[in-house]
Amino acid sequence: MINLTLIFIAAAITHNFVLTYFLGICPFIGVSKRIEQAVGMGIATTFVMTLAACVTWIIYHFILIRFGLPFLQYASFIIVIASLVQIVEMFIRKVSPALYRALGIYLPLITTNCAILGLTLFMILRKYTFLEGVVFGVGAGCGFTLALVIMAGIREELECCDIPKPLQGAGITLIIAGMLALSFMGFGGLISR
Amino acid sequence: MIGNTVLTSILSMAGLGLFFASVLAVVNQKLKVKEDPRVEGIEGALPGLNCGACGFASCRQYAEALAKEEISPDQCKAGGEEVINRLSEILNIKIEKKIKQVAVLHCGADESARKKKAIYRGVKTCLAAHNMFGGEVSCAYGCLGYADCVKACPFDAIKMVNGLPKIDKYKCVACGKCVASCPRNLITLEKIDSRDFIYVACNNLDKGPETRKACSVGCIACGLCQKLTGGIFYVENNLARVRYDKAKNIANTEEVINKCPTKCIVNEKPKSNGG
Repeated sequence: MINLTLIFIAAAITHNFVLTYFLGICPFIGVSKRIEQAVGMGIATTFVMTLAACVTWIIYHFILIRFGLPFLQYASFIIVIASLVQIVEMFIRKVSPALYRALGIYLPLITTNCAILGLTLFMILRKYTFLEGVVFGVGAGCGFTLALVIMAGIREELECCDIPKPLQGAGITLIIAGMLALSFMGFGGLISR
Repeated sequence: MIGNTVLTSILSMAGLGLFFASVLAVVNQKLKVKEDPRVEGIEGALPGLNCGACGFASCRQYAEALAKEEISPDQCKAGGEEVINRLSEILNIKIEKKIKQVAVLHCGADESARKKKAIYRGVKTCLAAHNMFGGEVSCAYGCLGYADCVKACPFDAIKMVNGLPKIDKYKCVACGKCVASCPRNLITLEKIDSRDFIYVACNNLDKGPETRKACSVGCIACGLCQKLTGGIFYVENNLARVRYDKAKNIANTEEVINKCPTKCIVNEKPKSNGG
């Protein structure tokens, strides 16, 4: 149980995918303008991460290992992630057309979100059990959502700020991303991995 | 041995692909969103300016409402007749021909005709001047000349000529933005069904002598135009007005315009005269 908690905290905070591994920066910058959008994107990504962790673990251990094909992990994991993203996209389109429109191109782009492929590969690399893998997926998704929401909160406040002209737009966003990453580095020694 | 690995690779990848494809197919059936295929076509036919004159925030929303047949296709003012025709083709609805509307300015006092009562040094917008005791213009009804309507027009149809807005009736699509922008309510939307368009360029409701004091081209409600046209012009609240629906029946247009003592009846001529 302690092990699971540690995996969760590590994935969500101390080894946050976005702010420590710098994975999934594209949606981190692209969909962090409004908090609601950020939450929607975070939930969608968390869902995909959790399911991807489940399905890829099963595929890796029961198909790829059994037939001696671990080198196929990249290709097969991408198939899994792409299908899951498709399902999520259909689901969001059905349930919330407004969120579907707000997420726009970033929704199908979850497919190529390296955070998710990174998650599945880390999971295999660290030889997690099935349960550990699922917790790792949930934790990574929560960490991604956390990073996105923090960023969106800051950017919403930023809109009322007097930013020097050369830094407006992408410039200040990247600087803030860097500062956030630095502050998350402060958790570094909390859990050794 | 290698052949074996290749075979199992191909088989397992094909199996995985097939499995996920079938899952996707099932989910697609389950979660199908019924979207009217006409929406795309309708959106393509709309001008895409998102001006909001139809009452929807964007052309896309208007297109969706149209596809659900909640609203008639003649709401798009920016696109004019052409778009309405195309929409009715897509939706297979016949609509009666709509008479073109145009924004009309009910004031004729340009910079030279305007009488000043004070010097105004405030913010140079009509709204500010209007709220500051009407700025420097002595007429309490007339145009202030700070071009709020020009700034409001999304179609570049209004220009300031000699301190007075001039509305290009060919560019005007009657979206109503200028009507809302004028703090003195000088602009109205009127139906134009004849090529000549005759209107009273004054909005002053004061009695004749008062109007004369404030403006050299204001309507003094003498009633001459009413007599000359047999009631197509009429005087109400010290101001002459036109029954626009009957305006084309006026035979002696020139006479009415020339005999008006303050020359506040204007005939908006077709394009050749710079109208």
